[in-house]
Amino acid sequence: MLYSYLAHMKQLLLLLQLMLALTTATQAQNELDSAYIRENYYKIERMIPMRDGVKLFTAIYIPKDKSEKHPILLNRTPYSVGPYGEDRFRPYWHSYQRLYFRENYIMVAQDVRGRYMSEGVFEDVRPFNPNKKSNTDIDEASDSYDTIDWLVKNIEGNNNRVGVFGISYPGFYSTMAALSGHPSLIAASPQAPVTEWFIGDDFHHNGAFMLLDAFSFYKQFGIPRPVPVKQYIGGYEIKGDDNYGFYLRTGALKNFATLIGDSVTFWKDLYAHPNYDAFWKARNARANVAGIKPAMLIVGGLFDAEDCFGAWRLYEAIEEKNPKTSFNKIVMGPWSHGQWSNSNGATHMGNAKFGQRTSDWYQNTIEVPFFNYHLKGKGDLSKLSEATIFLSGKNEWKTYESWPPADAKDRELFLQPGGGLGWTKPTAASSYSQYVSDPAHPVPYTEAVHMDRTAEYMTDDQRFASRRPDVLTFETPVLTEDLTVTGTVIADLKLILSTTDADLVVKIIDVFPDNYQDAGNKYPMGGYQMLVRGEIMRGKYRNSYENPQPFKPGKMDQVKFELPDISHCFKKGHKLMVQVQSSWFPLADRNPQQFMNIYEANDKDFVPSTIQLYHDAKNSSGIILPILDNR
Amino acid sequence: MTQRTVAGSFYRFLTIVSICLACVTAQAQNTDNNYVKNNFVKREVYIPMRDGVRLYTVIYMPKDSNLAYPFLMERTPYSAGPYKTEYARQIGPNLSLQKSNYIFVYQDVRGRYLSEGNFKEVTPHDPTRKGFDESTDCYDTIEWLLANIKNNNGRVGLYGISYPGFYASASMPSAHPAIKAVSPQAPVTDEFIGDDVNHNGAFFLLDNFSFSNYFDVPRKGPVEDYEGSVYNAQFRDAYTFFLNLGPLKNTLKPEYFGKTNGIFKEYLQHDTYDEYWKSRNIRPHLKDIKPAVLVTGGWFDAEDLFGALETYRAIEKQNPKNTNRLVMGPWTHGAWARGNWNQYATHQFGQNTSKYFQDSLETPFFNYYLKDSGTMSIPEAVVFETGSNTWRKYDQWPPADVSVRNYYLGADGRLTNTAPDANAFREYISDPSKPVPYTGMISPRRNNDYLAEDQRFAAQRPDVLVFETDELKEDLTISGKIIADLNVSTTGTDGDFIVKLIDVLPDNEPTLSPNPQMINMSGLQRLVRAEVMRGKFRNSFEKPEAFVPGKPTRVRFELPDAAHRFKKGHRIMIQLQSSWFPLVDRNPQKFMRIPDAEAKDYQKATIRIYGNSKIELPYIATGY
Repeated sequence: MLYSYLAHMKQLLLLLQLMLALTTATQAQNELDSAYIRENYYKIERMIPMRDGVKLFTAIYIPKDKSEKHPILLNRTPYSVGPYGEDRFRPYWHSYQRLYFRENYIMVAQDVRGRYMSEGVFEDVRPFNPNKKSNTDIDEASDSYDTIDWLVKNIEGNNNRVGVFGISYPGFYSTMAALSGHPSLIAASPQAPVTEWFIGDDFHHNGAFMLLDAFSFYKQFGIPRPVPVKQYIGGYEIKGDDNYGFYLRTGALKNFATLIGDSVTFWKDLYAHPNYDAFWKARNARANVAGIKPAMLIVGGLFDAEDCFGAWRLYEAIEEKNPKTSFNKIVMGPWSHGQWSNSNGATHMGNAKFGQRTSDWYQNTIEVPFFNYHLKGKGDLSKLSEATIFLSGKNEWKTYESWPPADAKDRELFLQPGGGLGWTKPTAASSYSQYVSDPAHPVPYTEAVHMDRTAEYMTDDQRFASRRPDVLTFETPVLTEDLTVTGTVIADLKLILSTTDADLVVKIIDVFPDNYQDAGNKYPMGGYQMLVRGEIMRGKYRNSYENPQPFKPGKMDQVKFELPDISHCFKKGHKLMVQVQSSWFPLADRNPQQFMNIYEANDKDFVPSTIQLYHDAKNSSGIILPILDNR
Repeated sequence: MTQRTVAGSFYRFLTIVSICLACVTAQAQNTDNNYVKNNFVKREVYIPMRDGVRLYTVIYMPKDSNLAYPFLMERTPYSAGPYKTEYARQIGPNLSLQKSNYIFVYQDVRGRYLSEGNFKEVTPHDPTRKGFDESTDCYDTIEWLLANIKNNNGRVGLYGISYPGFYASASMPSAHPAIKAVSPQAPVTDEFIGDDVNHNGAFFLLDNFSFSNYFDVPRKGPVEDYEGSVYNAQFRDAYTFFLNLGPLKNTLKPEYFGKTNGIFKEYLQHDTYDEYWKSRNIRPHLKDIKPAVLVTGGWFDAEDLFGALETYRAIEKQNPKNTNRLVMGPWTHGAWARGNWNQYATHQFGQNTSKYFQDSLETPFFNYYLKDSGTMSIPEAVVFETGSNTWRKYDQWPPADVSVRNYYLGADGRLTNTAPDANAFREYISDPSKPVPYTGMISPRRNNDYLAEDQRFAAQRPDVLVFETDELKEDLTISGKIIADLNVSTTGTDGDFIVKLIDVLPDNEPTLSPNPQMINMSGLQRLVRAEVMRGKFRNSFEKPEAFVPGKPTRVRFELPDAAHRFKKGHRIMIQLQSSWFPLVDRNPQKFMRIPDAEAKDYQKATIRIYGNSKIELPYIATGY
């Protein structure tokens, strides 16, 4: 609700006009592609047998063109390959994937084991089994292997070259396919890949439970399916349209378990594994990437609320464990989850404008050429850099020979007494800022009243938070030159709690000048506090995710943790702001602020905590920024 | 007191200060641009007052000179223009009166625009009648008009909204006998207790800082237009601007009001209910009133809601035999003069409430008393009940059958009718460096919707206490004054207490259609009434008293009246907080002259609200 009424109306009008103009153009293209695909492709549906006899439902779109052999592009999904029926085409013409139809790819989509029309039992982020001993030892890699094997042997006219790609959960399946080692799998592109569900993707960040996404997802996704179905029916329905109110009223995590019922297997798994135990480690998709064979193209969004971590860290893991792998590249654009696949251009994210159509550029310049080169032997990839990263703030695509850039240098920006941020260590003998974190009034993650988690919160104006007494703000003076930050940010906090646990949320913010003008955007952008990166750390995991440790009330402690990489230019005339708070609701569940198993906490266990964040000569706090010399 | 949409320089003011309001709530306009010119003859005169000062007066006379007409006059500090040959696009209080054969008179009050003399803020009334004041200026003007303007029928009506509402009120004590009907509309009445400048002694920073930027521009002599503004600061985000500005005294820096010896400075000089403010309170002088009176106000008037209600009350109390009526509609400041008013914020009234006022109340009122035309059937009080969106007619205000129903602020967050444990309490820390915003919107101006805004942005804060009832099992209607009776303690020696009465809509409340602001109605916490009390004035506005830190202390104060129906399935909510920024300046929470406070004087305070605190709601059993 932090917008000016009139401004908002005008903004809406403009948007509507723009959408109308775009829609007309896009529609024309879609109709052309729709006709093209229907004229030039036919669809078959097959139950492909896996090594253990389970059959997976697979939809295959085959070009009628027989003038040459064609590569296969595979997408494995838990979200359905529907519509079902060989006469019913998936509307690829609404997606950029129409580009692959123009190139005569054999397009394959498969329901993963246990989902929708496939047989077998589904398991969330099924662990990779590196020591398969028999045909009953299956995993997503073996299912990918068996599928690829069947396809190259059974689909006429294929060139024995297979690519696999997918966004989000299908990104995880792409990683798993890449680990299958099938010799025909030449290229893989895990995009926003679900990679690590305890540390940074989707349902936990640094051990804090991402309640809003988890509950809204599993209340439907988790519905059990004894036999193959075309549609899942039922699930818990939230009444009303105010997530802050609903999640706060529902209270402790226990109460959510009651609402969702006991039939959702993974919901029970979440509660059974509060710490980073063997269950989670087995599901870390990074663990087995050594020896990965296909050419890899990792894609992600700088403003992806779900799997930003997965994209950065999967790329990093493949680099580390395969120093000689010839082809492992990363592309990170200014995108929300999957926004690179949008046909609307992805010109902006909320109020952050990027000044160009970033998704089309990516599709045409990077992804399609990547698969064309590897699967069709077409074109030239010599100009594709190791890392192609959008620099928000400056709104330019940058290329690097490594990520993070070799010449980025870590420099600590220290919190200062009085709300300042500076490059020198504070000198005060004793100085701290204090706030009371009250679980009865958690800090909202965004200001608008709504139910579904917004994508735009990742660039939202943080003024609503600055105004709260339980949010500390520190900002630099007005920058006299551009400050470019490329890489992982580290928060290093020295603090004293009055209780035995607490969450620490650190937000890196770009404060626009008071007189900032943005033609066409009537949101009051002067003084806008743009979230560039926010991350939460559940305090008890500060030293170990496996072995949580309580804080000693009244005793100095240190909480040091990584924020996912950023690529942002804080421009001359702007300010850099850091906000620190201890809740981010209902994005993350509330910490009772008492050391305990939070999944077993009762409503009465949630207590206020007084947090003293130190910024003096002996105990300094700060953020360590990888800074790139302005080029 | 910032709105009256006449042409001329006031438009400049509107353009700069409230472009948003001008767009959204434009006054009803003649469809024929030349209507006034075709049907009236305009004349401009200087009318001499008893002390020789001449007041600039614009007179529109009907072209048909065969009839005798009453005068309908507005006296204004916002310009009687357009001046010279230009004609106003519309004249009179509303379109139907414009067509009803009146001589319309606009006058620049003493010291403003083209009038001579010196302007004084809300000119104090002089009951001795030895000098001059607004009553004598009005009297002298009428004497001149009756003698010099042909075709008059010897009767005069006065009207005005906001500041002009004050001039309408001020005409009534010792009124000229020709004045037969007066309609003070949202009249500026008491600027320390409830209108414009202060509410219960708390300074309305945002409005006055903005308003005075134009109103305080000095003039050397009569002018058609005021040049420039007092300060040049441009800001997009009032909350940030005023927080960065710091202590209240910084408004008097040279770059703001420091170099101008204007009214804004007077506001800060007088931080208690002293002679300055008392002499400007017109209510004690509203005695022996002869003209018929129609007081008009709006439930969503952010400026002079108090003035409308309390002007009516003062006349009623001091003139039991006078014909005095009250109209309260679902209006913002002056919205009853607009062409269409069928919605406000998320309220949709299902009818054009301003047209009803103009055609069925205002026009018949003046026609009856000034022209003996028609019959008089307007009841004592015509009041729009929000929530049920119904006009109610009562023979007194508040209605006779209203009874007090207590709602206790329970330490468990429940709002109950039975007194809970008086020793139990809830507490919060009020930090002047993080004041509670009055709105969830980022805006340079006052959000005109704030009086019905969703309060969830506030409920989510740790420094706002929330108390609510269960879902109501049946409709509950209130009509009249609301009382907050708090038992509080603070670790400071002063503090503000803001009480907000809220109607919580059910989860299944349908979405508005259309919904241009994309407002989520489900569970919306819609503000019904809110008021601030500056704690040190709890016992006396004249003699502020410090709190003893930690000592439970009674703070009892009135909120302006409301007429609202909480419907079955809704909840009644009370929110309590200690800042309302930047609508109201921050209280340093240290007992002192706040205009003298330095940055270091603003300190955190821990405030406790004890369980025997209560809100008294004026409950009315509804028989329909």
